[in-house]
Amino acid sequence: MSGILEFRNVDFAYSERRIFERLSFAVDRGEMMALMGPNGAGKTTLLRLAAALLNPSAGEIVLEGRAAGEWKRQQIARRVALVPQELEIPFAFRVEEIVAQGRLPHLGFFGGLARNDVDAIERAMESVGVLQLRHRIFAELSGGERQRVKIAIGLAQQPELMLLDEPTQHLDIGRQIELMVLLRRLAASGITIVAAIHDLALAREHCSSGVLLIPNAPAIAGSVEELLRPESLERAFGVNRVDLDRYLAAPEVQEEIAPPRKDSHELRRRGFLRGRHNRGAHWNHE
Amino acid sequence: MAVGLPALALVAATVASAAMGAVKLSLGEVLQALMHPASAGDAGVILYTLRLPRVLAAGLAGAGLAATGVLFQGLFRNPLADPFVLGASGGAALGGAVAVFLVPSFSFAGVGAIELLAFVGSLMAMAIVWALARPGGQFAMADMLLAGFAIGTILNAGTAALELRQEVTNPAVRILAAWLHGEVTVPSWPQLALVAAVELAVIVLALPLARRLNALALSEEYAAQLGVRVERLQILVVVAGSVLTALAVSLGGLIGFVGLLVPHFLRLILGPDHFRLLPAAALSGAAFLIVADTIARTAFAPTEIPVGMLTAFLGGPAFLYLLSRSKRRA
Repeated sequence: MSGILEFRNVDFAYSERRIFERLSFAVDRGEMMALMGPNGAGKTTLLRLAAALLNPSAGEIVLEGRAAGEWKRQQIARRVALVPQELEIPFAFRVEEIVAQGRLPHLGFFGGLARNDVDAIERAMESVGVLQLRHRIFAELSGGERQRVKIAIGLAQQPELMLLDEPTQHLDIGRQIELMVLLRRLAASGITIVAAIHDLALAREHCSSGVLLIPNAPAIAGSVEELLRPESLERAFGVNRVDLDRYLAAPEVQEEIAPPRKDSHELRRRGFLRGRHNRGAHWNHE
Repeated sequence: MAVGLPALALVAATVASAAMGAVKLSLGEVLQALMHPASAGDAGVILYTLRLPRVLAAGLAGAGLAATGVLFQGLFRNPLADPFVLGASGGAALGGAVAVFLVPSFSFAGVGAIELLAFVGSLMAMAIVWALARPGGQFAMADMLLAGFAIGTILNAGTAALELRQEVTNPAVRILAAWLHGEVTVPSWPQLALVAAVELAVIVLALPLARRLNALALSEEYAAQLGVRVERLQILVVVAGSVLTALAVSLGGLIGFVGLLVPHFLRLILGPDHFRLLPAAALSGAAFLIVADTIARTAFAPTEIPVGMLTAFLGGPAFLYLLSRSKRRA
């Protein structure tokens, strides 16, 4: 089978708080999967489970055909890269020093960087376009630059599977799209991508499949089109149908009064805001 | 460069410091005595019984403190952590007080009571902190800092209690006070050799740990994601730092600022890579404390001042200056 990651009836709870019950889904090799759901539904927890940083209380997580618990920590780190949401570094590390950390799983206990490690670091920086930032201090980079450097660390690990936690957070719409295009390119090159994504429009545009986490109910896995049907979203995000329709509708009338926001323009261009129930006049400005 | 320059500075500091003192020796005499110890005469006696043991003790104490600074700053992900954050100073002080007041004539294998009990005291303090901070086996760094602070305070109170029971005229009170402010002893050669061997072994074995501290700088979770067994790393770093600190304290009492100032200064030049910092800090810390101790024993001769007082007087303002510089750069 071409499955790279599979959750089989996974239960997980933080002490009293139950997060997952009998969660099952599978990710195929080379796929680009969106992980969606409201705040607190367990997107970050799911990614940690997939990286074997947490253990399920019941059920099984299978990585490349083997139970995650059977892999050694370092073996997992050579196959799975987790790109976290935030990265706060207390010291003034330069970009290339940070990216070099991605080679750690490939080094021996006493070993330093060999020629092929240095090459891997260069290639990782190059493929996300941060080569020219290599001598900059990481803490001084912009949000978009940091995001790409974090992905470069993951690439330096030379993983089969890359897990990303809200990679588009804090980015403007231009950087968001750049980033999603980059992830698609990585998926096309054979790295399986699983990304927690808040922005449903981006998920619909760029991802082939997804998992929608719904609080206190079984998650749904399937194609993104299926997951983004209003009925599912209504249940997952706890919004009523009218508000959801407004969100999904395009601001055609509003546009004549106020200049369009850059992102709404972009979203409409990509067909997201057209909506089935177009009630343009009801577009809400927050 | 990360090792070469500090190593050169260390050799220069050692030779120059050996020449200075109540009896001034020329550099030629020092080098002559070092090359041909058998035919060195009076200069050889001064050098081998007084000067060199003291210079080397200062060097080893400085190396241990600065290396521990790098390790603990990486461990706690905080450039302001110093070797005494886990309560080592409190344990050492109490050990020293017990030695001075209760068992002044005790010695073991040529090592005096103060050195021995300070070593044991600081190790025990850190062991207690460690035991307290991990109920249920989970190794929480914030808990360790809090426990270190609490244990240090309690042990310092114990030291004060012992001190207050003494007559004011008891000369041991002064001995303890000087030692608490950091005073380098003149150890025996076997003691020096033992400390040097253990220190070297610990620092070399800590080099792979230092490389993993770079990953830990990203975050504990990130390090785990990169295949680091975080808890094991934290335990090994605590053990390495505890041994180095206890050895340094046994040779020089409580010398402040070296563990903070030296790594901070080197970070401005070499960057924050712990793998490069560790050996550089050990060598620079040794050179720095040798220079400081030379000033401490010669500047106000025949009176000696505790070297810890000097590092505080010089190190405090220097540290403030470095802070203001690094702030401007950021």
